[in-house]
Amino acid sequence: MSDAYVQRDAALFAPIAQTGRGFYFTLVVLGIAILWGAVAYWTQFEQGLGVTGLQQPVSWGFYVTNFVFFIGISHAGTLISAILRLSKAEWRRPITRMAEVITVMVLFIGAGQILVDLGRPDRMLNVILYGRYQSPLLWDATSISTYLTASTLYLWLPLIPDIAILRDHLGKRRFLYSVLAMGWTGTERQQKILNRAIAIMAVLVIPIAISVHTVVSFVFSMTIQPAWHSSIFGPYFVAGAIFSGIAALIVAMAIIRRIYRLQAYLKPIHFRYLGHLLLVMTLLWFYLTFAEYLTGYYGNGPEEMKVFWSKFTGRFWPTFWAMAVCNFVIPMIFLVRLRHHAVGKTVVASVAVVIGMWLERFNIIVPTLSNPRLPFPDAIYWPTWIEWGETAGSFGLFILFYVLFVKFFPVISIWEIREGREVGLREVEERLLSYLPDGTEPEPARDHTRVLR
Amino acid sequence: MNGRPSTFDRAVRACQLAIAALTVFFVGSIVVWIAHLIRTAWRLDDVPSASIGISLVAIPVFLVLLGVIVSVFWGLLTERRTR
Amino acid sequence: MALWGMVIDLDRCTGCQACVMACKAENNVPAVGAKEAARGRTISWMHVLTEESEERTRFLPRPCLQCDDPPCIKVCPVYATYRNPEGIVAQIYARCIGCRFCMAACPYNAKYFNWLQYQREAPGQNPDVSLRPKGVVEKCTFCHHRLQKARERALAEGRGLAPGEYVTACAETCPTRAIAFGDLSDHGSDVARLARSPRAFKLGEELGTKPKVIYLSETEGHRRV
Repeated sequence: MSDAYVQRDAALFAPIAQTGRGFYFTLVVLGIAILWGAVAYWTQFEQGLGVTGLQQPVSWGFYVTNFVFFIGISHAGTLISAILRLSKAEWRRPITRMAEVITVMVLFIGAGQILVDLGRPDRMLNVILYGRYQSPLLWDATSISTYLTASTLYLWLPLIPDIAILRDHLGKRRFLYSVLAMGWTGTERQQKILNRAIAIMAVLVIPIAISVHTVVSFVFSMTIQPAWHSSIFGPYFVAGAIFSGIAALIVAMAIIRRIYRLQAYLKPIHFRYLGHLLLVMTLLWFYLTFAEYLTGYYGNGPEEMKVFWSKFTGRFWPTFWAMAVCNFVIPMIFLVRLRHHAVGKTVVASVAVVIGMWLERFNIIVPTLSNPRLPFPDAIYWPTWIEWGETAGSFGLFILFYVLFVKFFPVISIWEIREGREVGLREVEERLLSYLPDGTEPEPARDHTRVLR
Repeated sequence: MNGRPSTFDRAVRACQLAIAALTVFFVGSIVVWIAHLIRTAWRLDDVPSASIGISLVAIPVFLVLLGVIVSVFWGLLTERRTR
Repeated sequence: MALWGMVIDLDRCTGCQACVMACKAENNVPAVGAKEAARGRTISWMHVLTEESEERTRFLPRPCLQCDDPPCIKVCPVYATYRNPEGIVAQIYARCIGCRFCMAACPYNAKYFNWLQYQREAPGQNPDVSLRPKGVVEKCTFCHHRLQKARERALAEGRGLAPGEYVTACAETCPTRAIAFGDLSDHGSDVARLARSPRAFKLGEELGTKPKVIYLSETEGHRRV
C-alpha cells in the first residue's frame, strides 16, 4: 500500500484531500439560494398556500411540476448505471458513481416537493397512519420509498471498496470511513458477496425505477380530466424521465470534469456515447409526444381540444413551443454530429433538455387545470416569489447534497477504474474472441481496405 | 488486526452494528406499514383489492432488499480480520 | 335507507344567487375578501355558472353533485373524503392534509381550498357548522348538519323523519323554487318525481360519476317519452 497506489489516480483523491476557495464560494452561492427557499417556505408555512399563485381551479402548479421533474431526473442514475453494468458496457466505469449520486440526492428533493405542496404539512403523518392504497399518492409513497431504499443501497454497495481505500490511504476522517467501509478488506469471500449483491441490485433496481415514474404519471392519468386521462402516460413519463436524467447526468459530468480537472477520466468518448443515448431519447420523446397530440387532435373531443389549443396557440403557447424547441430542435441540431466538440455540444443539448423537460411537466399540469369542463370565469396562474424561491432552494439543496458527497467520497469509482485496467481489458478481449469464429487468434492490424476485397 | 481491539475499533464496530440494525429496522418497518395499510382498507371496507394487489409486489421487493442488506452486512462484518 | 338528491330546474332559475348567499350564511363559508377574490380564491360551495352560447344564456347553479361514484374519493390518500351510506359525500376537515388531489380530480370543480386562514370565530356564525382551518379542502355537504338536527328532533319525539323536514339551505331559499331536495329512493317524493321528468339530464353523465344533482331543462332533456 505505497503512495504509488494513490499517485496514479491522484486526481480522484484530490477533491477529498484538498478544499479550495472555490468550494467555500460554491457553498455561499448555494446557501443564498437555499436561504431564499427557506424564507419562502417559512412564509408559506405561516400564512398558508395562499402566498403562492395557486387558485381555483389551478390548484397545482410549480410544486407538483418540480415534484415530477425531480423524480424524473432520478432516473439518470440508477437506471443508466444499472443498465450499463448489466450490459457490461466498459465505458460506464467513470460515470456510474456520478449517476447513482444524482439519483439518491434528487429523490429526497423530489419527495420533499410534495411535502412543500401540502396545505397541512403538520399532518403529513396521516399518509402513513391512514393511507389509502386506492389513491395514486400512496402508490407514489410506496414506490418512491422503495426506489430510495434500493438506490441508496445501490450507491453504497459499490462505494464500499472506495471507502476502504480512503480509510487506508487518506489519513483524515478515519472514523467516518472505517464505519462506512463495513469492515471491507477485499478478501475473495467479501468480493463475491459484494459482487453478487451489486448484480442483484442492478437487476432489481430497473423495474423499481420504471414503476416509480409510472405511478407518478398515474397521479394524472387516473383522473378523468382532459389531456390527463391517457393510457400513454406511463411510458411517456418513464421515457421523459430517462431523457431528463441523461441530460442532468451529462451536465453534472461536464461541471465536475471542469472543476476537478478530471479530463483524463471523463473523455469526449464518454460524452459522445451519452450524447448518442440522449439523441435516441430525443427521438423517442418526440415520437410519444407526437402520438399523444395526434390522437387528441384527431379525436376532436371538445374538452380535449380546449386544452390542445390553449397549448398550441392559446395562453400556453410560449411554454409549449419553448418545450418543443428545447426538447427536440436543439438536441437534434447539436447531437447529430458528435465527432468534434462532443463535450460542448452534448452539454448545450443537455441544458436545453433539462429546461425543456421542466416545461413539459408544467405543460402537462397547468393547461389542463386551467381549462375546466364547466364554464368557470377565466383563471390565470402566475407563480409568486414564493414558488420561484422554493424552486431555487430545491435546486440549491440538491446541488449542495451533491457537492458535499463529492467532498467526502470519490465521485469516480476508483476501484472500478482499476478493475478496468487490470481485469477489464483482458475480459473484453476474451469476450470479443468468443464472438468471432472458434480458433480465432488476434492478428496484427492490416490495411483496412484490404479486408473488403 | 490481532490482539485486543482498540477503543477506536470498538467504536467503529458499534457504529457499524447500529447502522446495520437501523437499516434492517427501517426496511422491516416499511413492510409492516404496507401490511397495516391493507388491514385498514379491509376494516373500512374500502377496495382492499388495490392494497392487496400492490402489496403482492411491494412486500416481496422489500423482502428481497432486506435480504440483500442482511447478507451484505453479515458477509462484511463477520469477516475474520487477518490484517 | 335514504338516498339524498337534488333537482334543479334551469328553466326556473333566474340567476339571482339567493342560493349562494343562503349557503354561505348557513355553512359559515368565508368571505375571502376583495384581494383574495381578485386572485381567484373565492369559496362558493354553491356556485352559479353562466353558460353562454349563440342561442341563449343559461344559469347553472352548481353545488357539489354528490356523485354515487365520486372521482374525488378515489384519489384521497387519507380517507378525508368518503361517501356515506345515504349518498352524501362527506369531507373530514380534521383528516385532510391539503394535497388537493380531490380538487384536481373533480370534473365539476366542486371542491374549494382554504388558501389562507379565512375564517375566525365571529358573532353571527352558524354554531352547527365547524369552521375550517387553513390548508384544508371544503365543499357542499347538502347541509348535513340540518339532517343531523332533524334526525335528533325526530328521535326525541319518537317518530321517523318526515318528508320535507330535512332540506338544504339553497332549496329552502330559492324564490322561484327551482331547487328541489329530498330522498331519491322514495318513489313518491317530489325530488324522485322530478328526476323522472323528460326534461331531466345529468351534468357530465358520460363521465360515469353518477351525480345525484339532476338538472331540468327544456332544451336539454328529452331522455324519456
